[in-house]
Amino acid sequence: MATSDQAVRPSPPAPVSRQDGRSPWGRRYRKYLVPWLFALPILLINVVVVIGPSLSAIYYSLTDWSGIGAGEFIGLENYRRILFQDMNYRRAFLNNIAWLSFFLTVPFAVSLFAASMLARIRRGSMFFRTALFIPYVLPAVITASIWRNLLSPTLGIGALLSDWGIPGLDVAWLGRPQTALLSIAFVDNWHFWGFLMVLFLSAMQGIPPELYEAARIDGASRWQEFRHITVPGIRPTIVFMLLMVAIWSFLVFDYVWILTQGGPAGSSEVLGTLVYKEAFMRFEAGYASAIGLTMSFLAGLIISLFLYLRRRGWEI
Amino acid sequence: MKRFFRRGRDISLAPNYILIVILVLFALGPVVIVGFNSVKDAASIGRNPLGPPTEFKWQNFPQAWEIGNFSTTTRNSLILVVGTVTSVLALGGMAAYALARLKLPGGGLLMLYLLVGSSLPVQLFLVPLFFLWRNLGLVNNLFGLIIIYVAVHSPFAIFLLRSYLVGIPPDFEDAARVDGANEWQVFTVIILPLSWPAFLTVGLVVGLGVWNEFLLATVFLTEQHLFTVVTSYYNFTSRFSRDWSLTSAAAVMMIAPILVLFLTLQRRFIAGLTQGGLKG
Amino acid sequence: MKTAVPRTIFVFVILSLVLAACAPATAPAPAGEAGAAAPIKLTHWIGVGTGGSQQAECVIANVIEPYNEMTEGVTVETVLQSNVWEAMRTAVAGGGGPDIVTTPGPSFVYEMAKSGQLLPLSDYADQLGWADTFAPWALSLGLVDGELYSVPHELETLILYYNKTVFEENGWPPPATFDEMVALSEQIADAGIIPFAHTNGEWRAANEWFVGEFLNHVAGPDNVYLALIGQKPWTDPEFVEAIDHLTDMQLKGWFMGGLDRYYTGTDDERRVMLGDGVAAMTIEGTWALDNMSNYFGEAAGNANEWDIIPVPSVTGEDIYDLGIGSTYSINAASPNPDAAADFLTYYFSPESQATLLVECGVAPAPVTLTEEQLTGLDPRFAKAFAGLTQASDEGNYGYTTWTFWPPKSDVYIYEEIEKVWAGQITSEQYLQGLQDLFQQELEAGDIPPIPEREVSS
Repeated sequence: MATSDQAVRPSPPAPVSRQDGRSPWGRRYRKYLVPWLFALPILLINVVVVIGPSLSAIYYSLTDWSGIGAGEFIGLENYRRILFQDMNYRRAFLNNIAWLSFFLTVPFAVSLFAASMLARIRRGSMFFRTALFIPYVLPAVITASIWRNLLSPTLGIGALLSDWGIPGLDVAWLGRPQTALLSIAFVDNWHFWGFLMVLFLSAMQGIPPELYEAARIDGASRWQEFRHITVPGIRPTIVFMLLMVAIWSFLVFDYVWILTQGGPAGSSEVLGTLVYKEAFMRFEAGYASAIGLTMSFLAGLIISLFLYLRRRGWEI
Repeated sequence: MKRFFRRGRDISLAPNYILIVILVLFALGPVVIVGFNSVKDAASIGRNPLGPPTEFKWQNFPQAWEIGNFSTTTRNSLILVVGTVTSVLALGGMAAYALARLKLPGGGLLMLYLLVGSSLPVQLFLVPLFFLWRNLGLVNNLFGLIIIYVAVHSPFAIFLLRSYLVGIPPDFEDAARVDGANEWQVFTVIILPLSWPAFLTVGLVVGLGVWNEFLLATVFLTEQHLFTVVTSYYNFTSRFSRDWSLTSAAAVMMIAPILVLFLTLQRRFIAGLTQGGLKG
Repeated sequence: MKTAVPRTIFVFVILSLVLAACAPATAPAPAGEAGAAAPIKLTHWIGVGTGGSQQAECVIANVIEPYNEMTEGVTVETVLQSNVWEAMRTAVAGGGGPDIVTTPGPSFVYEMAKSGQLLPLSDYADQLGWADTFAPWALSLGLVDGELYSVPHELETLILYYNKTVFEENGWPPPATFDEMVALSEQIADAGIIPFAHTNGEWRAANEWFVGEFLNHVAGPDNVYLALIGQKPWTDPEFVEAIDHLTDMQLKGWFMGGLDRYYTGTDDERRVMLGDGVAAMTIEGTWALDNMSNYFGEAAGNANEWDIIPVPSVTGEDIYDLGIGSTYSINAASPNPDAAADFLTYYFSPESQATLLVECGVAPAPVTLTEEQLTGLDPRFAKAFAGLTQASDEGNYGYTTWTFWPPKSDVYIYEEIEKVWAGQITSEQYLQGLQDLFQQELEAGDIPPIPEREVSS
């Protein structure tokens, strides 16, 4: 029903060429100039804000620019430092990988599970869907501040549980190098998984119920239904979200910054916070640009991997 | 056959409900706790940090409003939201129209450009952008930040609007063109009113994104009188920290408008926010 | 439905964009472009801190207004700002900003002076006799390449606050030397009380308070001085010892009862702990003097009192690590530099400074204040400031990291120390890293001027 562009339509009727004296020019005006006039404003804004600075980031990454005045060209020195010298970068990168591993598994597992549970429920389904989506619409500062208190050893859930006789959970989760990053991931997960769940739920509604009926008749268990009907049925959605989450994992900033600023002792430092610190606290804007470029590179790598696998016909 | 099927279903639904309810508690619990704490006295929070309140100190709200300078920050956030949303809808809508209907030459390239642009991490261009904006005097300027937001949110808006516009039957526009309308008139008079659902959805999603946005607002608005609701909360936590009940009240005032809007328009919100994920 | 809808949309767009552009952007360029006959207006931005705007308003009422009344034709116009430094830096860099430029410290002045954003003040200093009001070393802090660009304000230092009642109840005398403090901490810990209420949960840079204190009070200010002028490496054993002591105390949990709690506690939490007697001491700046009483006594729910002593040193001498909380300069683009210089002279006169301290609790500049001028002040405040100004007069002081270290090294100090505490690097490696970075900045000339000191060998 949805027709695409006007490719197969007859050319516009005579009135157009009557509007301006020169027939052929009129058509070209219509074809080239007008559409671009429509698209240009926002394209310009995008170029000025995103592309221009991104390109200059490439230039600055080759200098020792501090953010004030001019920077001296130093070639690939920043990159050499990133690859071979900077322990902070290495740790941040590994933390991003850890974050990636967490986010490619935990939220997906929970949301797929919850979505399949919720898919069968008729009564109150709308209520549940809305309720579970709410954490996603809250601003990061609020979520972080709520959870910082909930994770406090004296005022939080751990303290409450220990009052009730369950010991060992009233530690300063965000203050320990071993648990800081994990705690932040937990909080971000709380915020995020509802979104995934609703997404999967919508996708699941596109699976023909006959498949389930047939499986039920064949005596399949719930788990088998899930594995052989549900998951394959929404595979494109799952795959796409895996891709997006993988990319976002390298860009994470808000929760880490608000909760620990990368501490303690760099245990929760990620590339995003490292860029911020280098640029605005250590006056190393050129180096920060280089780090930013590595982040784009990693994102690009993931996209390429995805496209490559797809082209190879990988039935992911 | 059907009856048998239905009975089989009914039996196995109880665990579903139980698990979903647990998840709902997990999702809403912290929000409810903040609600509780917003009406407690600071001292009683120390004694009872997570439970329901025993008295209701409504005074917390006007106090938090005062200290948190909510009149100013709400105004700032609203300006940002309205400015960004209207610009994105207007300019993005125009571009989407060009892509969907005007057979924009090089349209495919434009889409690819937008796709690539939207996957660039903000940290990449943040540093040079900040220093460029500083030289242009656009730092600590709401208008300057709106331009940035428009650039950042435009790819999503354009994609969504375009796919919606493509689905509109071209009959109305053709009729208008026959009548001698130029493209601009077609766009504003015919297309816009027809596609208001998509515009509303995009508006909601972009609006939410701008209201909640943190990193760019922190970097580009550092003067107190320009703080948004979100960045002022972050900056004033130390001011509040003596009184967690005040912070909770402030938090409640911040999320209340979001929740109200969300609950009234939830279908649109959810549809809009999940649109991006359903392609693939 | 036809043309109304799009039209409203456009009106909307234009309106909101106009509204946004009209919303106050950066402050206007210095006022007072009027000629000599017209009234002169000087703009001055006052920072509003976490305590609220009362202090700023007190300053305006007690010092600025009287000046406006006193001088005919000159008005100082004040604007309240939070994050005043960020705003200032942006505005001045853009060629605008107020006539009176303030920064958080001498190393920031350096950056601005080098970029030509500040007016040279040596001539004014000579003409207006500033050398007579300020302590001998004070003006030298504002020198960049031999020219004066700023005057220091808000002298601050770190002192040891302790819960007097808890000490008396347990028969503990306040420690006089560093070793006594360590031994006492052991006793306190054994008694089930947390020795120090320290956190960095809200201000990550708080780490540097302790590093600075320990470097100065264990290795001694003379050694720190030599290292700051590049004559002694930071890797020398005295400094290693200082860092080791600090790490030791952290790992024993003497700060906040556990390193993880140090990282997550809030300032409010720890002061409450001190007030309630859950913790016994805290090393903090003189900026906390104002608020400390809120945590003690009936209103705070306990029956305790507090007192202060200088942070003990290894030698037992009273050492106060000097900090400069802010600096004052004149904008190079100011159209009324003479008037601005006059205002500065007034502002930094001992009378104004005493008023600022006694009435508004603003830490004074390093000017000599007499006892009489300090009447009306809480005796503990007076003790702290008297000790401080005396030390500064005699040239016997220590060096706080945020005032005397170059900017990158300063950041290094508080960021990297966490890795020593986490056991990821040794104190030697930490100090080696500091030495390398410090050398770089020293060679680039980025180090703030260090006033000369007589070093006893």
